[in-house]
Amino acid sequence: MSKELIRLSNCVMSYDDEIVLDHIDLSIQDKEFLTLLGPSGCGKTTTLRIIGGFLTPTSGDVLFDGHRINDVPPHKRMVNTVFQRYALFPHLNVFENVAFGLRMGQTVVEQEGGSEIRRKVKIPEAEIHQRVMEMLEIVNLRGFEKRPVTALSGGQQQRVAIARALVNRPKVLLLDEPLGALDMRLRKDMQQELKRIQQEMEITFIYVTHDQEEALAMSDTVVVMDGGRIQQVGSPEDIYNEPRNAFVADFIGESNIIDGVMRADCVVEIFNRRFQCLDKGFEKDEPVDVVIRPEDVDIVSEAEGQLKGTVTSVTFKGVHYDTIVDFYGFKWLIQTTDFCPEGSRIGIKIDPDGFHVMKKSQYSGMFGDYSSYSEEYDEINDPTLLDEEEEDAADEE
Amino acid sequence: MRKQNRFGGRFVIGLVFLFLYLPIFLLIVFSFNAGDSSAVWQGFSLKWYASLFENRLVMESLATTLLVSLLATAIATVAGTFAAIGIYSLTKKWRDPILVVNDVPMMNADIVTGVSLCLFFVAFFNGWHGFAEWFNSVQHAITLPEQLHLGLVTLILAHVCFNIPYVILNVAPKLRQMDKNLVDAAQDLGCTWMQAFFKVILPEIKPGIVSGALIAFTMSVDDFVISYFTAGSSTQTLAMAIYGMTKKRVTPVVNAVSTLMFLAVLVVLVINNIREMRQEKMAEKRASFEPVKPNPFIESIREKLATPQGRVFRRVTAAVLCVAFVATVGLLTAFTTSVPVVNVCSWGEYIDESLIDQFEEEYGVRVNYQTAESNEAMYSLLKSGGADYDVIVPSDYMISQLIEEGMLEELDYGQIPNYSQIDDRFKDLPCDPENRYTVPYTWGTVGIIYNAAVVDEEIDSWSVLFDDTYAGQVLLINNSRDAIGVALKYLGYSMNTTDPDEINEAFELIADANARGVYQGKVMDEIFQTMEGGNAAIAFYYAGDYLSMVENQADGVDLRFVIPKEGSNWFVDAMCVLKDAPHYENAMKWINFIASKECNLANMDYIWYASPNAEALEEYPAYYEELYGEELDEETYEIMAAPEDVLERCEMYVCLPQEARTLYNDLWIKLGI
Amino acid sequence: MKNKRSLFAIPYVVWMALFVVIPIVIMLVYSLTTAASDAGEGLHLTFENFTGMFDYVTVFGRSFWLAIIATVVCLLIGYPVSYLMAKEGPGFQRVAMALIMLPMWINFLLRTYAWMSILENNGLLNQLFQKIGLISLYNHITGSDVEYFQMIRTPGAVVLGMVYNYLPFMILPIYSVLCKMDNSLIEAAQDLGAGAGEVFRRVTLPLSLPGVLSGVTMVFVPSVSTFAISRLLGGGTSMMLGDLIENQFLGGAYNPHLGAAISMVMMVIVLICMLVMNHFGEGEEQAVML
Repeated sequence: MSKELIRLSNCVMSYDDEIVLDHIDLSIQDKEFLTLLGPSGCGKTTTLRIIGGFLTPTSGDVLFDGHRINDVPPHKRMVNTVFQRYALFPHLNVFENVAFGLRMGQTVVEQEGGSEIRRKVKIPEAEIHQRVMEMLEIVNLRGFEKRPVTALSGGQQQRVAIARALVNRPKVLLLDEPLGALDMRLRKDMQQELKRIQQEMEITFIYVTHDQEEALAMSDTVVVMDGGRIQQVGSPEDIYNEPRNAFVADFIGESNIIDGVMRADCVVEIFNRRFQCLDKGFEKDEPVDVVIRPEDVDIVSEAEGQLKGTVTSVTFKGVHYDTIVDFYGFKWLIQTTDFCPEGSRIGIKIDPDGFHVMKKSQYSGMFGDYSSYSEEYDEINDPTLLDEEEEDAADEE
Repeated sequence: MRKQNRFGGRFVIGLVFLFLYLPIFLLIVFSFNAGDSSAVWQGFSLKWYASLFENRLVMESLATTLLVSLLATAIATVAGTFAAIGIYSLTKKWRDPILVVNDVPMMNADIVTGVSLCLFFVAFFNGWHGFAEWFNSVQHAITLPEQLHLGLVTLILAHVCFNIPYVILNVAPKLRQMDKNLVDAAQDLGCTWMQAFFKVILPEIKPGIVSGALIAFTMSVDDFVISYFTAGSSTQTLAMAIYGMTKKRVTPVVNAVSTLMFLAVLVVLVINNIREMRQEKMAEKRASFEPVKPNPFIESIREKLATPQGRVFRRVTAAVLCVAFVATVGLLTAFTTSVPVVNVCSWGEYIDESLIDQFEEEYGVRVNYQTAESNEAMYSLLKSGGADYDVIVPSDYMISQLIEEGMLEELDYGQIPNYSQIDDRFKDLPCDPENRYTVPYTWGTVGIIYNAAVVDEEIDSWSVLFDDTYAGQVLLINNSRDAIGVALKYLGYSMNTTDPDEINEAFELIADANARGVYQGKVMDEIFQTMEGGNAAIAFYYAGDYLSMVENQADGVDLRFVIPKEGSNWFVDAMCVLKDAPHYENAMKWINFIASKECNLANMDYIWYASPNAEALEEYPAYYEELYGEELDEETYEIMAAPEDVLERCEMYVCLPQEARTLYNDLWIKLGI
Repeated sequence: MKNKRSLFAIPYVVWMALFVVIPIVIMLVYSLTTAASDAGEGLHLTFENFTGMFDYVTVFGRSFWLAIIATVVCLLIGYPVSYLMAKEGPGFQRVAMALIMLPMWINFLLRTYAWMSILENNGLLNQLFQKIGLISLYNHITGSDVEYFQMIRTPGAVVLGMVYNYLPFMILPIYSVLCKMDNSLIEAAQDLGAGAGEVFRRVTLPLSLPGVLSGVTMVFVPSVSTFAISRLLGGGTSMMLGDLIENQFLGGAYNPHLGAAISMVMMVIVLICMLVMNHFGEGEEQAVML
């Protein structure tokens, strides 16, 4: 399946002195579902807009099917976008919104004397009608074509935006946090719907989100970004199981990140205690970050435990308990189905495949323990909204 | 490519700003002109700024403008805010029609709003008159004023009326944006309704209120048309004063005032802009998670303000500001309405203004000096019930019309000893044959004014007004009586004919010339600027005004005056007192004062119109010599005070019967169409 | 609670009835009666004032014609300027906005008066033309012998005065609509294959229509009813509706009944225009709310 469709090579984007994208290299395959994932200000939307043609990189190249398209304006790219807040034309009804792109005409490529000539051809009304209705069918909006878009619910507007972007049969669909404004339930439904559409249409989706669950659930490839750099590219499983650095480990799922030392191949030392692991290829006695996922920890009796600690808080989460355990002053999150009362002393056991050892990076030590853990914490700090405005302001410059 | 576009765009925007600011630039430049022309540069001077505070007309109208704008804005802002809150808590069914009516004053042309309010006030006053009469007759405990007039109160009401919609327009979007649960939340947290209003709603919609108030204030200051129709006679805003002046010559004092206002607003805008920019930068920094370095000075003030003493300080400041507002309004009110004990209506530039101060000092009576545009305009104002003048200075024919309609009060000549000094020629006038109503103010003739630099021949006939020799260079007077009168004279008829055929014949003469493009325009006092600048070659106007023009004529312009051989009009303007004048005694004092020799001399020197005071007229050449150290040439004196033989050729207007007046009006409007 | 707040609307409703509705009713009464009924002969209904208005058809025609020209010119200048301004950075925009509002603080009569000295036959503009040889060039080409171009006291000067005074009223609403327009809509259109021209025609222009409509209203209404501008710059040669009305109330031809009738007609025409426009622009207005 994999044929490279888009390549960003050494792309830099900067406004004044501020570097938003720092030498990005990225290859996007045909027909894949690729997600750009990262916190606000990480450069994911900027990357998307470069692909869409709304921004021109300060330096570096954008290649589409092997051709450099840095200077091709958006309306000449075979790429369409579903915008953050849909950007539906309020003066047009559902049908006309979807038909908009078709009314702009179709580009036909003719071979004439060896050179390619691109011409815009008007699409006949009957065909427009047929294609729009087809699209509305796909997004389950048949019967809504005469409605003003202002009278639709969020989910319906979302579908119109998708239909509008797809009706031109682009090679690539760009989606900029398209589900951000929907509620939880609708979001889950739309995730599946999007996946279905992508498979049905057989085109490339490039999806921007800050929601890691969404990214893991939908993508073929996840690109984790932070600070204008790509932190890791890989399948959802790779990203989750083999995070390349502390940032990725922390951003994707819950993780206990502990300072350790690699004593030998497959031997890692944390809390002055050596453990068996599966990681190799580090220097002897190299300081490393060790990731232990909360679900990879087994709780055993204090006597049996490789490490011993005190339970400081327990939260019932339905399937499991979130148990915070204090080991030598460092608080771990352990997800377990066993209930351990607060204050009890317990021991833990970790299998060798429970350890994931990473090289030290700029992110080392930035993520502390779970001593101030609360579920809302991340959400309160979620600056997505702020992020949007910031990037908008930057775009206008 | 984008950069280039932007440059082109800025160029276009720059051109538009050039267009917008060119006249303003000129206006500011001419506020520093040494001369009083707004077209001819006569050197740099600051004298207009220096004389700013001595110019009563300008200062008073400025005070009125500020008072009306401040009060109307304050009232409209409070009322509009509450109204908006009320309207937005109504259901759509009720809200929409209310909003439509609310739009009416904004949508309607100003003139329609002004006219309808004017008619409304007058109708109300009429109703009130009946009520007060009845009320005063059935009981004697309280005496209600029977006569109400347009004035400051109606002006403020009118301004409030057109300001409220602007406030609502600005507050409404903020109300729409406001979270509907906010008030509930506040009450849930223990606020009373009032507290919720002050602590939640008000801060939420504050930006809307502020911008609404600003727009309302700007609109108030800039308004002319609505004020013009609702201010009546004794109140004048700056705009109205300027309108009065544009007829003749806008004194550069107005330019100076406007320049100062302009600079003040400019400074406020610049400060505001800098502040906003700084705030934006702060916001930017905050957004990029950079720690904002608080200004230590501001921080320390903020800290101090948060202490209990600080709160007291804040309250005191707020109180001081309130008191300052009230005091400003009070002062302005005092300034604009303080015991207006004699209301005088005259023509623009028709008095040496120092005489007003002199009178006030001598008699302790305040003079409210207003000007009207023409006899006819003054008559309309009197008719519409909008005027509460004591003394007016109409021309002869208008005097007889006013007497005929019973609008004048007889004078008490016992209180006007100076009347004896009036030359006998100006007593027993046809308009007041028994000398019961008038004390002459000035007299003069009408003649042709021409620019000898352009016109080579000696002109001695009205014919130049009607043939093609100077097509496009002739100014016609915009006054039916004078224009048709001259044509009648040219045709050899009497200026006072009532024969419709003769009048029609005279009119046809004008209409025909008009159709051939002889006339550059129809002007009244605009003639000054036009002739002085050499922008027209021929006009006819009053002799006294000709002399003013000569004083101010531009280089290369050589104005001459002649009374044509066919004869012309000579006129007397006289002081009269209106029926039911509220300040009769003071009016007598004023008339007597003005009739004195000294005043007549001063006026004659200032306005170049001949005095009816026998001694003053005779002594003027000597007075002139003493004042300027040079002899007054004979010709000038004779133009000013036409000798007997010239006057014999001239005719004085008498009041025409109603039918003839109607014919004049209809014909004149036909010419305008 | 809700009712309590809506009580605030009552005083204003009373106020509007008093100062908006009743004055118009009185004006209507005036327009349907004659001076004779003033003299105490009782009110008698007449359409004389309205039929008499046919004498002034040319004045109506001229007023509307000049106002339409002024409005079109304002639109042609104002739209591009608003468009260009909306594209600029926020700092530039703020300064530009302030500069557009600032002239309002100098009375419009004074500014118009300043135009007089620019447009006079010996005025600054003609002097400039003289200096740069434009006038002799013109004479050379046309074989005429003019010493100046007649600018003041022409209908053109009146239109210029209107454009000058009311241009900001065209720029402000258009600018504020363009400014608020969501940039992503334009991007969406580009994304869907629209070139610059099509983006403007299919998205920017239809979305800015409400601003254009209110701009047109705000220029047209004062233009059609002005009397000061036509008097100062038109030199009394081209009487306009405003002059006519003013003349009936405070001018020489004192006849408030006729004046009221003309005002009535003007109001009705303006309101009809507004209604038509509002109806036409309703869809867009909703759109802007979104």
